[in-house]
Parts: sequence; structure tokens; C-alpha cells
Amino acid sequence: MSKLTRTLALLASIAVVSTAFVACGGNTESTSSAGGNTSSAAPAENNSSEAGGESSAEAGGESSAEAGGESSAEGGESSAEGGEAGGELEAGAVNLPDTDDTLTIVCWTDADLQNMFDVYANHSDANVVYQNCGDNGSAASTQYATYLNSGDDVDLFVAEAGWILNYINDDSMSAPLSDLGITADDYKDAYQYTVEIGTDNNGVLKAASWQAAAGGYAYNTTLAEQYLGVTSADDMQAKIADWDKFAATAEELKTASEGKVTMAATIGGLWQAFSTAKNAAWVKDGAIQTDVAKEFTDMVKGYVDNGYVNPNVEQWTTDWTNVGLQGETLGYFYSTWCLGEGAQLEQNGGTDGNWNIVIGPQEFFWGGSWLCVSPNCNTATEASKFVKAFTTDASIMEEYALYSGDFTNNKVAMDKIVADGSNSNPLLGGQDQFAILSDVAAGIKMSDSITKYDQGLKDTFLDTLKKNISSDTDTIISTFTSQALADNPDLTA
Amino acid sequence: MASAAQSRIKSISYAKYGYMFIAPFFLVYCFFQIWPLIYTFILSFKGNQANYTQFVGLDNYSQILFGTGSSQGSAAVHEEFARSLGNTFVLWFGNFIPQILLSLLLAVWFTDAKVKLPGKGFFKIVMYMPNIITAASVAALYVNLFGDSKYYFVNATLMKLGMISEPVQFVAGITASKVMVMFIQTWLWFGNTMIMLMSGIMGISPSLFEAADIDGANSTQQFFKITLPLLQPIMVYTLVTSMIGGLQMFDLPYLYHNGANFSKQLETVAVYIYYNFNKGTVEQANYGYAGAASIIIFAITAVLGSITFYMNRDKDAIAKKKQRKKAEKQMKAKMKQGGLSI
Amino acid sequence: MSTKSQYGEVKDDYHKKIMAKSIAILVVCILLTLICLVPIYILIVNSTHSSNDLAQNPSRFFFGAHLGDNIKTLMNNLPEDAGKAAKRVAAQYSSAFNLGKGYLNSLIIAGFSTVLTVFFSAMTAYGLTVYEFKLNSAAYTFIIGVMMIPVQVSSAGFVRFMYSLHLINSFIPLIVPAIAAPAVIFFMVSYMKSSFPLEIVEAARIDGCTEFRTFVTIAIPMMKPAIAVQAIFAFVANWNNYYTQNMILKNADYATVPIMVSKVLAFDKNVDNGVNYLCITLSILPIVVVYFILSKFIIAGVALGGVKE
Repeated sequence: MSKLTRTLALLASIAVVSTAFVACGGNTESTSSAGGNTSSAAPAENNSSEAGGESSAEAGGESSAEAGGESSAEGGESSAEGGEAGGELEAGAVNLPDTDDTLTIVCWTDADLQNMFDVYANHSDANVVYQNCGDNGSAASTQYATYLNSGDDVDLFVAEAGWILNYINDDSMSAPLSDLGITADDYKDAYQYTVEIGTDNNGVLKAASWQAAAGGYAYNTTLAEQYLGVTSADDMQAKIADWDKFAATAEELKTASEGKVTMAATIGGLWQAFSTAKNAAWVKDGAIQTDVAKEFTDMVKGYVDNGYVNPNVEQWTTDWTNVGLQGETLGYFYSTWCLGEGAQLEQNGGTDGNWNIVIGPQEFFWGGSWLCVSPNCNTATEASKFVKAFTTDASIMEEYALYSGDFTNNKVAMDKIVADGSNSNPLLGGQDQFAILSDVAAGIKMSDSITKYDQGLKDTFLDTLKKNISSDTDTIISTFTSQALADNPDLTA
Repeated sequence: MASAAQSRIKSISYAKYGYMFIAPFFLVYCFFQIWPLIYTFILSFKGNQANYTQFVGLDNYSQILFGTGSSQGSAAVHEEFARSLGNTFVLWFGNFIPQILLSLLLAVWFTDAKVKLPGKGFFKIVMYMPNIITAASVAALYVNLFGDSKYYFVNATLMKLGMISEPVQFVAGITASKVMVMFIQTWLWFGNTMIMLMSGIMGISPSLFEAADIDGANSTQQFFKITLPLLQPIMVYTLVTSMIGGLQMFDLPYLYHNGANFSKQLETVAVYIYYNFNKGTVEQANYGYAGAASIIIFAITAVLGSITFYMNRDKDAIAKKKQRKKAEKQMKAKMKQGGLSI
Repeated sequence: MSTKSQYGEVKDDYHKKIMAKSIAILVVCILLTLICLVPIYILIVNSTHSSNDLAQNPSRFFFGAHLGDNIKTLMNNLPEDAGKAAKRVAAQYSSAFNLGKGYLNSLIIAGFSTVLTVFFSAMTAYGLTVYEFKLNSAAYTFIIGVMMIPVQVSSAGFVRFMYSLHLINSFIPLIVPAIAAPAVIFFMVSYMKSSFPLEIVEAARIDGCTEFRTFVTIAIPMMKPAIAVQAIFAFVANWNNYYTQNMILKNADYATVPIMVSKVLAFDKNVDNGVNYLCITLSILPIVVVYFILSKFIIAGVALGGVKE
């Protein structure tokens, strides 16, 4: 078949070239750039002629040879460039080319990277850019595969817990961190679950995380005082220390507010808190596990019937923001990356410092992102510096934590912040979220429960639950299972 | 002199130019359409997710069409495909019927010389306008105006006017979202259909209407006895193009949703195919299902296309052809008889 | 006298009837016009309000004062002292919705596709009508046959194929296939059959014109009306082609207008509704303006026998 493909490719390139001849005779402005990689700075205005060159090159040479040739041919440049960049940061012994001077990071949400770039600018004058190619977590996974295959410049990419395993277990998508001179030994101070998740099925370390995504329940203190008479975070925690108490408080809140204020903003948030605390995997030995989902469905159906949560509000929508802004919910379940300045807490109404965070009914965690190396990385030294700075360097990570409000993946840095008392979050009325979440972070065992099907199964489950909330639990679970099986023929029930 | 040149030219064979002129089309079509189609066909015989390299024969087809096959979810796969096929037809039908009725009504009104309508040109222009707007923008526009909660324009306005007390789920609601998509499709296409029908009506000889007027036929009678029968070819054309468009309905059903994922209740076949092959890495995607569903749709299109061609064929020409054939047969039979008799 | 008045009554009655009918039709037309225009109007109105104003009262019918702020956010041109949340929103929108780049990309794709479509379709149609060759009718039948095939049918294989050719994030898979447009060829063939005299080709041959030059210098000018009509439709169809573009273009630098809008629609973090509306407005308004300028021409083109996508 590949022979046929090649023949056809040849034919096509002939057609393309002849097309360029016929159609673009008058178009003299097309600049021809050699090679396939167009840098992000220069959009492909020169499509026709460049493309013609591209496809004909491929028809002759095939791609793997091309990559090899590129790296060896331009090897001379790299050493010169390595020396220029800021001297403060260390790079590992890299095993990938250094032919480009712009570090390109592909991401699916740019909030973290904007914070990182702000911090990084204090330490390095390297040219770092990001490419935001997913619009949301679910879509990102589908966009990445295509993007990483396109031959466009990618040095590092950010992968989310829900689907990272698909990428680190595929060698055409990700390279080992050792290629950047980074090994597991560098992560002695990290939360070990992040290292375990970043290790592929063959035991190769492929990804490193900058955060330990501990979560908590953030609530509106004004509403809490008005309707529940709660004045301190400790009192609040006592009122919602487990799910029974949470429900009892929700009832109290509903009565006091005459049904105007719900206890939790969304079913999705409740699911996050409920499910991750159970540490149960969605898939075990190729079979879909529904025990936790069943338990949750039972609970949340009661919540909906009693008006503790509005099933029509969906996470990550305008409604989600508005229920906080308009005081229609007492609180949200948030992960650490929601708590910094400018992040979700602030956007969802937490601008006046009248919010507090507590652990909530169960210690839970939510998401988390990892930095992975593309096999096509051509800015290896800079990439190595960047990864090292944000996943191993305690002082930069401390700076990052204080700047972004994100719980970083370095026990030394986090312990220091908590001990120094140097963090006081104005959005949380001066609370130090790290002090509250540090035990939670230490207890995360995500590596036992993560599977490559997580994102899809979670989306399907929550969608099914929301659409069928008035059906009985068994119907909801069986609807979910059959949809999940249709989506994933690899799995069994 | 000229005649010499002419005869010289006549003697040259120009056939090769014909091939040269149509060659680009066929090269490009084969490369970008036929080969991908064959590739899709090959994919439909291969497995899904981790088994993507494995040859599985007709497994994907049996799963999609009959709900039996290697995967435990076969029944659900069949159900989902059937549902998406159903959605495709419901959404198409639900926009085609109001669209054709509205367009027909408007076309008749606009071409009726007796009706004095100011600003006819303006109305035509405005009514065609939605058709040029990108479907993605249209979806974004309607999702933002018709959002599910009281924080969106339509619900907020209706609540302010006291017409509803609870927000209507225009986007997530199972029936409401389908009705909305039908409405938007109608909104997008009625102007186009109207103008095409108008040009059809204007092609009808005015003397027919004049004669009918003199005979005392009222406008309803004229419509059913003259306009409608003579519009048949263009109606069939509209039907066919709309049907092809309907079978590939993708943008609106795919983009009309809240949150991260498309709405399952709006899943059309095109969305089903796209969703299955566009699910991340090759081990996440279901190329087999997507391939098989594509081929099934291809078959459906082919059948529907042949039916419409059959219905719309030039009956006179066919009748003539048949007669000729019959005559030929008779001739042959006669010759045979003759041959035997000799 | 009496007969005359009777006749007058009938006439009056008839006039009244026509009048009533006209008014009824006018009302319906005005209603439909409103249905077409009001969503666009509200869209524009909403893009002049801030996200907060819209959250407090989403039902707004009149222009607000925040258009400038929304534009600044979209251009990532905030004042220095803007909050981090505002800056984050601005960075997100400006990177995903770069109007200039989006329009340029869309123009490149739609422009080149249109040129290729009309030129090669005219060429194929010319080849089929002017020359007689063995496979002529077979080729024409093939073109009519494949006219019906929806794009989606081959898209799974198409994407995998483009993958293997490393043509993802490239305009080639969006432009070059435009050469093969069966429906346009079908239209052009019927146009040529009805209004292209073959004697002209003979005359050109006698004058020593080469076949290709005859096509370019004689046939194309004569086919101008058909080409113009099909060019408009090809341009609109390619401009609006979200499906294929979305499969192929994953890099924000190559994003076209429909892709940018779908990205904005999918934002789940740092959403600002005012800017959202502004983005949608900007994706629609220029097209609508161009349409109104060219409307008479376009409507005439549709009437001439446009082809639905």
C-alpha cells in the first residue's frame, strides 16, 4: 500500500506543480521557504508554491529520512545558540537537536503558560511561545494527535491527566525526558504520583508536572454568614466534614434562602470531589467500572430532587460563572489552578475577598497538567531549561506558586511557603490555600486510578447523567455503559 | 485557400486535446476523492482503537447494521448509528418541509403581477442574506442568543415579558434543540429556495396565466393547475440538492451545544463519522466504525440519487428509446425469421 | 348609469381585495425580514455591552458603551493597570481570534479555491463539449454520477491520507481539491451547450490559434456569466467550509474565520460574553456588508441556477 501511496503522491505533486504553473503565473509575491516547518511567526501566505515544494520533496524522500537529515545537517548551529541564552538556568545533557531558537509549547489552555512565561521572563531571555490548539480539555486530546503529526514546530506540549496516557505511551507523539537530560532522580522532592503518571508502560519517564492538583471547596462567606450563620472557615469545614453533613447543610441553606442558593454549583464539581477521593479507576482489566458512578448517581439524584444543585448548570459555561457572580450558589469545588489571581475563583465572583476555601466533605484532587517532549523537539537546550525550571527548581517553583496561586509539584517549595506564611490570597480574604491543601496534595494517589479512557468516560457519564437525571439509577448507569462501549470497542462491561 | 486550411484542420485528430483538457479534473479527483474513498473502504474492514491494524472483515458492518459482532458494545453501536441516521432524516425533513412551503408561498407572491408589494427587491435581498453567513457563526450566534438559562437574551426577554416562568432549554433540551436546528436551517435556506423557485415561476409562459384569468380561474386554482405542475423539475432539483445537503448536515448539529462536547441528541451521520475518526491518537479513534458508516452513507446516497434520477428522467426520451429498441428487436426477430426461412 | 355604477362596485371590490392581499403579504414579509435581521441586530447590540452588564440584564435592545473596551480586549491592547483576569481574557481572545490573520487565511483559501474551481471546471467543460473522443460520454456520466457524493463519505480516509502525506496544517488539501468540482462542471457544460457556438473554435483554428489559447482567450471571455455565477458560489462555499478546514488546520496561525469562531464558541475558561459577541459580529458583519453591496448581482446569480453546497 505504501508503494501505491508513494506513486499517488508523485502523481499529486506533479499535478500540484503544474497547477502552480497554470494558476499562479501572475502571482510573483510568493516567497518560497525551504523545508516543511513554518515558524509560528510567519503565516503561510505562500501556500501554493511552498506546498508544491513540500509535497514533491516528500514524494521523493519520505518523512523519516527528512527528519534525520535536518537534525544532522544543521547540528553546527546549535552549540553557538546554546551559549547565548540566559546563564542562570541549567540545562540537562540533551539528546535532541538544537536548531531552532524559539521554544514552542503546544497547550490546550493558556492560563498556566501565561503565568509561567511571566515568571520565566525573570530568569531567562529565551524566546518562548505557546500555540493554543485545543479550546477545551476534551477537544484538546483530539486536536493534539493531528497537530503533533503535522510537522509544525512543537518542542514541548502540555497534556492533561484525563488523556495523557494516550500520548506518553505513543513513541511517535512523545520522547523520553532523558532526551532533555532529565531523569527520575530530579524528582525526589516532587509528589510521587506525578512521576508515576509521567512514566509510560515501559517504565520510561516521559512527562513532568509542575503542579499537584489538590482541590477544595471554596464558598462565599457573605452568603454563608447570611444563611448559615457561619463566620469562620473551621466552622464551615465542620458543617460539611462528610457527605451526610454536606447534605444536611445544603438543606439548611435551602430553607434559609428559600431555595435561591444551591450548595454546589454543578454536578460536575460534585463528581470531581466525590469520585477522585474514591481512587477508583474507570477501567480495570479492560472492563468499565461503574460502582463509584452508581453511588454518585444515587447521591446526586437526591441532591437534584432536593434542590441542592441545579442540574442545568454545566461546568465551564457562562451559567457556571453567573451562578457565582449572582450569588446563586454557596460554593464551588475548585482545584488549585482555579484559585490564583485572574483564574476561575476571581471570574466566578470572588473579587471582593469574601470567599474562603476548606477541604470539604472529602479530600480530592482535580486534573493536573504535565509537560511532555515532542520527538520533533528542535530547541532541546531551551526546552530542558524550561522543564527543569518549572518541575525541579525549588526556588522558581516557589516563585511560581506565589505568583500564580497554583500548588506546585515540589514539597520543599510548598513546605517553605507554608512555614514562612508568605502566601496570603486576597481573593480568599487573606487565607493561605497552600496550608489548607498541602495535606490533600500529599495524599493524592491518582496514579492508581488513571486510565487512558478517563476523559471520554467522564464526559459521557456526566452527559448521560445530566440528560437522564429523572430516570432511575440503573437506567442511567446502563445508558452510560452502552454509550461507553459504543465509543470504546476495546472495553467490556 | 480557406477550404484547404479547413480540410487540413479537419484531418487533424483533436481527441488528444479532449483528454488533456479533462485530465486535471480526473487526476485531482482521483487523488483527493477516489483514493480517500478507497482508503475509507479499506478502513471499514479494519478494527477500532487498539486493533486498528487488524483486518476484521465485515465486523464493523455487522455491528453498525445489525448490532452483532466482536465488541460487547455492538448493540449500542448499532443503536447510535440508527439514532444518528434517524436524526439526520428528522432534521432534514423538519427543515425541508417548512422551507419549501414558505419559499413556494413567497415565490408565488413575489411573482404575482396583481399584488402590489413595495420593496420587493429589498425583501428578496434580506431573505437571502442568512444563506451567505458561515454556519459556524450562525451556530455561535444562536447558541449565544438562545442559551439555556435566564442569562441569555431570548430566555431573559421571554421571562421579562412574562411569557415563561422557567427558562426554556433551547440548546440542551432534547426536542427544543432539534426544533431549533430545524428552524435555523430553514432560516438559512428559505431565501435561496425562494429565489430559485421564483426563477422557475418566471420561466412559465405568462400567456398561460392570462388564459387562466380569462377563463375565470382564481389564484389558488392557477397555483395548483399551472404553477405547481410546471415547477416540478425545479422542485425535484431543490429536493435533490437539499437531500444531499441534508445527508451531510454537520456544522450546525455539531456546533450547536453548551459545554465541551457536541449534543448527542443532534448527532447526525456526518457528526457520527467525524466523531469516530477524530478522537485523538489512532488508538483512541474508531476508524473502522467511521469507515463502515461512510460506506453505508455512500450506498444510501447512491440509492437515493438513482431514485430521484429515475423519477426525474425525461419520460418522452425514454419512451422514444424504448420504441426504438422495440422496433430494433422486431427487426432482428424478422431477420432471424427470414434467415430461418431461407 | 346603473350598469356603470355596478361595474364600478365590482372594480372597487376587486381593488379592495387586491389591496387587502397586498397588505397581508407585506405584513408577512416584514415579519420575515425582522426574523432575518433581528438576530444580527441583537448580536451587534450585545457586542457593545460588557460581560457584566449582560449578566445583569441579558435582554438588551439598545447599544451600550463598551464596544471600545471589547475591541481593546480582543486586540489585547489593555491599559497597563488592567487586572490579571482581564489580561488573561485578552490574551486568550487575541490569540484565538486574530481577525486580520483569519480573514487573510480565509481569503487565501477561498480565493485560490475559487480561481481553481472556475478555471479548471471551465476547462473540463470545454474539453467535454468541444472535442469528440472515445471516453467523452463516459467521462461526463462519471462527473454527473459523482456529483452526489457527500464529502463526509471519504473524509476518514482523506484525513488519514493527508496525515501520511504530512499535509496537516497546510492549505493544499483545502485548495487543490477545488480543481475537481463536478457540480460546477455540470453547470458549465449545460451553459456551453446552450450558448457556446463551436464554429468559433474552428475559426480560431483556421487563424492558427493553439487549442489552449483558444480556450483562454476566446472561450473563457464568452463564458463570463457562467463563471461569475459559479465563482460567487464557490467563494461562499469555500469561505464557509468549516468541515474540511477543521479537519486539516490545527495551528492557530492557519485558522480561518469559521475555525476562529468555533474556537471562541468552545472557550470554557476566561469567557467574556461581550467579547464573544464582538467576535461573532466581526465574523459576520464584513460578509454581510459585502453581500449587500453585491446583492443585486448575487440574487440574479442564484436565479440563474445556483447550486446548493
